[in-house]
This record gives sequence, C-alpha cells and structure tokens, in this order.
Amino acid sequence: MSPTTASLMGDPVVTVRGLTKSYGGRRVVDGLDLDVHAGEVVGILGANGAGKTTAVECLQGLRRPDAGSIEVLGLDPRRHAQKVREQVGSQLQESGLPDRMRVQEAIELFAGTRTADPAKLLEQFGIAHRRRAAFGSLSGGERQRLFLVLALLNRPRLVILDELTQGLDPAARRDVWRAVDRLRRTGVTVLLVTHEVTEAEALCDRVLVMRSGRVVDQGTPTELVARHAGEAVVRFSLPPADDATTAAALQELNRLPEVRALSSSGRTVTVRGNRAVIAHVGAWLTARPAPVPHDLDVVLPDLEAAMLRLLDDNDEEEAL
Amino acid sequence: MTAATLRPTGRRRRSVRSVTRRLLAEELRLVGRDPFTLGFTLAFPVVAMLVVGGAFGSEPAHGFPINPSHWYIASYVTVMIGATGLVMLPVHVASYRERGVLRRFAAAGFPRWSFAVAEIGLGLAGIAAGVAVLLVVAAPVYGVPAVRAPLPVAVALLAGSLAFVSIGVLLGTLLPSARAAQAVGLLLYVPSLLLGVGGPPTFIMPPGLRTVVEHLPLALVNRAIRDPWLGLGPGTEPLLLVTGLAVVALVLAVRRTRL
Repeated sequence: MSPTTASLMGDPVVTVRGLTKSYGGRRVVDGLDLDVHAGEVVGILGANGAGKTTAVECLQGLRRPDAGSIEVLGLDPRRHAQKVREQVGSQLQESGLPDRMRVQEAIELFAGTRTADPAKLLEQFGIAHRRRAAFGSLSGGERQRLFLVLALLNRPRLVILDELTQGLDPAARRDVWRAVDRLRRTGVTVLLVTHEVTEAEALCDRVLVMRSGRVVDQGTPTELVARHAGEAVVRFSLPPADDATTAAALQELNRLPEVRALSSSGRTVTVRGNRAVIAHVGAWLTARPAPVPHDLDVVLPDLEAAMLRLLDDNDEEEAL
Repeated sequence: MTAATLRPTGRRRRSVRSVTRRLLAEELRLVGRDPFTLGFTLAFPVVAMLVVGGAFGSEPAHGFPINPSHWYIASYVTVMIGATGLVMLPVHVASYRERGVLRRFAAAGFPRWSFAVAEIGLGLAGIAAGVAVLLVVAAPVYGVPAVRAPLPVAVALLAGSLAFVSIGVLLGTLLPSARAAQAVGLLLYVPSLLLGVGGPPTFIMPPGLRTVVEHLPLALVNRAIRDPWLGLGPGTEPLLLVTGLAVVALVLAVRRTRL
C-alpha cells in the first residue's frame, strides 16, 4: 500500500495479524494479516478452499482462531462475539431462512435498536413488492437481495459479503453489484469474499489474493494487474508491401515507447508492452497513410490474468 | 472498551428478552403454517387416544384399576409430550442447522441463548395446545377424569414437558441432518409410546420387561402425571426422576444450542 493511499484511508475497521486456523491438522488459514479501513471495499479473492470463508468467520466470531490477533471495530470477536456481530452486517455463504417466513417477518425479526428504514431498503434493493412473499418462493437473486437488506438493516459499520452472487444469473448478479455500488457511495465499509475475479474487479478498491490460507499479494486491482499481468497485446496485419517496407514498419514499431516485444508472422504483427503501448501503436497506425487494419485486436491485461499468473507462480514455488 | 461498558445493562437485558420474544412469536407463527408438523404433533395422539381409549370399554376390567378410557386419556397427555419432544423439535432444529438458519441468527448477533429458549418455549406451547385439543376431543367421547392431586400433576406436566422439549432441542443440535433427527426421534418415540405409555398396560407384561419398561424416561413422565391425576398413587419417585432429567436435559440443551 503506498503512503498516499494509506493517508487517504479512514480509521481501521478490521485489523488482523497472524490469523491461523486448522481443521483436523489441515491448516486452512495460515498467518493471515489484513487491514480494512473505514469506507473501503476490500475483496478477498481466491480459489475454492483458499481459506477465505474461514478467515471472515473468525472475524465475525463464528469460528475460534487457533492463533493470531483480530480486532473488528476495536473489539476482539473471540471475547465480544455478540457485540461485534451486532455492529457487522453479514451475508453468509451458506445460510438461509425458514421457507415459510415472509420477507416482512424476516425484517421484523432481524431489526435491532438502530434499524434503518426497512421500506426504503426493500425499495432500494427492488424487493418491496415481495414483502408478503415467503422466503421459499423467492428467486435466488431475490434471496440474495433480501440477505443484503438484512445485512444493512441495523446500520452496520462493516458489511461482510461472502460469495454474494454465487449461483445467480447475469441479470440478478448485475442487480446485486449495483446494490453493492450503492453501499460504497454511502460510505459503508465492505469486506467482499469471492472467487469471481470480475466481481472483485468491478466492486473492490483493494483486493487480497489468498491461496492455501495465505495472502499471496494485495493491492488495488490496477496495481495487481500491473504487477502480475501488466502486458497489453496489440495484434494487427500490415498491408501488403515489399520486404523492405515491411521491415521498416517493424523497425518503427519496435522504436515506439513502452514496446517490450515485437513479433511477426507473415503480415501479422504482435506488439507487447504495458497499457500505454496501446496508445502509441494506435497513434502510429492512424498517422500512417494506410487505412487502420480491420483485424486490429487489443488484449487488455485484467485481474483474471493477474490472478492466474499469481496462483500459477505460487503453484510453481510450492512444487519447488 | 472497558469491562464496565460490556456488562449487560438494563437496556441490553431488555434487548435479549425482546429478541427471544420475537423469535418465539415467529416460530409459533411458522409452525402454525406447517400442516404436516401440526398434524403429526396434534392429530396423531388425539386419534390414537380415541382408538385405544375405546378398546377396553369404560368399566374397570381386564386388570385396569379404573375406567380404561380415563387411563388412556391421562396417558396420551404424555404421548403428546413425547411427540413434541422426540419427533417435532429434533427435526425442526436439525433442519434449521442444516439449512444455515442458525448461522444466520448467530451472525445477526442474536443473544446466544435466545434460540434455545425460544425453541423450548415453542415446545411447551405446542404441548399445551396439544393437551388442550386432546382434552377437548376426549371430553364428549369418554369424559375427562377429575384431577385428584392437581399440584403434583401440574409439576409433573411441567417437568416432563421441559425434560422432553430439552431432549428434543438437544437431539436437533447433535444429529447431523433433519433426516437423521427424524429417524432417531421415531426410533426413540415409537417404542416408548407402545411399551411404556400408550400401548398395552404394563401390568399385563412379564415382570422383567415391566421393570425395564416402567423406567423408560417417557414412562416415568407418564407415571408422574397419570398416577396422581387418577388417584393411583402419589407418583413421587417418578416425579423426582423426571425433575432430575429435566434439569440435566435443560442445561445440556441450552449449553449446546447457544448461537
């Protein structure tokens, strides 16, 4: 985390040091360090079984860690589990409500002493019309939105969302993402646990990548992409020309700023470099008298590529 | 944060009561919407009482010291306790755990004893409603026998209900799934019902079997309720054993079921 980024952040909401948890001799969380500041949306990203859910369950006081220190809103969840839970809104990975419980009844049951306006929340999350519907009759997307409403009902200072959009169709997922984006704008601190890279990229200010219970890297999505998948690829075909003209064009391209590698196969040219290379190659193409090639293709580095690289690198390290 | 601010305040105690009350109210409402649960818990003992109560007529005969119909009306109050404690509650609690409802309650910061207390309240309310239905149905058919010793009967009803409701909650938290809870619950309930409570009277059984059967937990509850109700004895010994069982089961259920 850069000093500038740190100075812009609010008060610490979650501070974890050396969190360790094992099940039957298998270490599921291994020395996790985590800081979440007020107003941040932080994602914990990792493959299934990386230890993400266990880690956040320890934060909520739902599981007891074997070692390490945890502070959530200034409290230790091991000693003050109930007090922590009262101030944290949770959407759990595997949880439900009784099938016959109606939406309105769930709201009444979960409402505490600092309840937000439930009608407004239901309206905001698009399920006001399902107020009298039984939980068992709600679609997957409606259930997730109800869980979000319940998580926000008591004006939490921290919201933990675990696999928020698992099993949802694209439209329902988009609705839920919009809901989280609204949360961000209201300044609520969000800890998002997911194995969906697109979700983390779309919603999070900062992402921690976990593997085998350890954080293998963390940063903003842009920082992670730059560190682990910083290479943009621009591919296009040069117009038919004699060998000398083609060679001259390739030399010009090779001299462009930010170009790291250039290769050609027949008339097809592949230019690799950081994101800025896209602009330089674009400028070069438009400055030429020849028309812009129809097969121009740009592959942008993204978080998915970064994560795959990150996890692959760690696989190799472990194999060694 | 200082220790003083974490001590339960009056406001906090009110909040604990409020959550438990809301949970209980919601649970009662939900059970009311579940016809199968209601049917099994309320209807089965009532129908069985009507059938078995008429099998031996209404005159003391066949070794019965009193009107056999009255014997079975008093006994089927215990059947209602068994149905609630050994079948309805284990399945209910296990299905909540299996489907993550308990995790949701825990994550929402519900006080840790609130669910156990609400389920015990639900069980007691279920038994009260079931016994009321049983007596209302029995009254015009066989007549309800007068309660000879109201206080011991009331204490036995309460202790027996608490014991079996607690056992039910405990089974629900210990067994891995609702199916397992149903299987184990029925395995405990049916023999208890047939041998010690609502089936053939124990006095027709061989002495060895009778000794075993009369000490089954549900049979102890039956003796503690039926004997003082019908004037067949004070029922002190079974009442003490049932009270002990109630205390142990209640403590275990509340400790085990904390959120």
